[in-house]
Amino acid sequence: MSETGRPATTVPRGFGQPMATSAVPQPASLADVLDRVLDKGIVIAGDVKVNLLDIELLTIKIRLLVASVDKAQEMGIDWWRHDPMLSSGQDGSRSVEGRDSEARRSLEQENQKLRARIEALEAERG
Amino acid sequence: MAERPDRDTGRIGLYLYAIGRGIDDDALAHTSGLREAPLRVLEHRGLAAVVSDVDLDEFGEDGLRRNLEDLHWLEDVARTHDAVVRAATGVGPTAPLRLATVCFDEDQVRSRVEQWHGPLVRALDRVDGRAEFSVKAYASLAEPAAAGSPAARSGPGAGAAYLQRRKEETRRREQSGQDAAHDAEELYSALSEHAVARRRLQPQDPRLTKHEGTMVLNAAYLIGADEPFADTVAAEASRWPELRVEVIGPWPPYSFATLEEQ
Repeated sequence: MSETGRPATTVPRGFGQPMATSAVPQPASLADVLDRVLDKGIVIAGDVKVNLLDIELLTIKIRLLVASVDKAQEMGIDWWRHDPMLSSGQDGSRSVEGRDSEARRSLEQENQKLRARIEALEAERG
Repeated sequence: MAERPDRDTGRIGLYLYAIGRGIDDDALAHTSGLREAPLRVLEHRGLAAVVSDVDLDEFGEDGLRRNLEDLHWLEDVARTHDAVVRAATGVGPTAPLRLATVCFDEDQVRSRVEQWHGPLVRALDRVDGRAEFSVKAYASLAEPAAAGSPAARSGPGAGAAYLQRRKEETRRREQSGQDAAHDAEELYSALSEHAVARRRLQPQDPRLTKHEGTMVLNAAYLIGADEPFADTVAAEASRWPELRVEVIGPWPPYSFATLEEQ
């Protein structure tokens, strides 16, 4: 696996048997790295103030999210691209803004139609 | 010229990765810092702070607020941070710092080392010659029974039978969840016997890790560097065949190099 440049991940051997550990410091999963670099480690306030509360919120968001942006998009979880609070720094976010708000409008319209149908159906059933 | 530019524009800060002992520039010559910047070691009273220059456009207050919400940026910085910490850990006892600790100059870094000197020394003493291991346990919780095993009944009583079956499935799933949690607790305690210290972390979200089953244990153990901990885990885990157990390490002692004042 190492030729591919991918982390030398260990192979599960079924229940009750742990995965092999590797003696070399192996590239870890992003979840494991973030668990540690965001939640653990020594906290010494630097000169640049980082709001740890923000970071904790961020950690929660990530926990609810996915291992990488690519995977997120594969899974259709890409809300931050549409969240104006979060997408300000994203490449090209401004150029797609117009398209986004159009998409949002059409979603809202669809949402309204669906609500109306549900109400109608519920009324029918009495 | 009278107008001040943005506070952080073009300014350089120092990013702190770790504080350790016995670490020098040469030992880190083959590892790069963030954005490929060379690593430097600042000595103060026998402690070594591992730093590199960073652009405050990117790592100043405004930059961090913006960038920390960008998952690509975060992944990149987190992995580089971890790589530098690992390199330092390979040289001497190391206390990793939390991500994104940035000072304005060397004097400020030294003043932090001065301020926390005692607790830092004690933290390094605790982790010297030891490493962190991650142990996770997964359970495959009971699947609902094959639906309507004796050919799906119909007629009077079918609805009641269905509800009864659903109730039974729910009960079984709850029971199996409780059993798994109980097993995980026992495994956690059993492994503690072999460790210097232990700590539980929050179970990870399967959407983040793509793991199968339910993560019932996410623990960190501090282990003597020469201990065959993976073998120990394998031996202990066989007592709980319902659990799939995974051990990953060694890690730098993120969960254990803490300042007792915190």
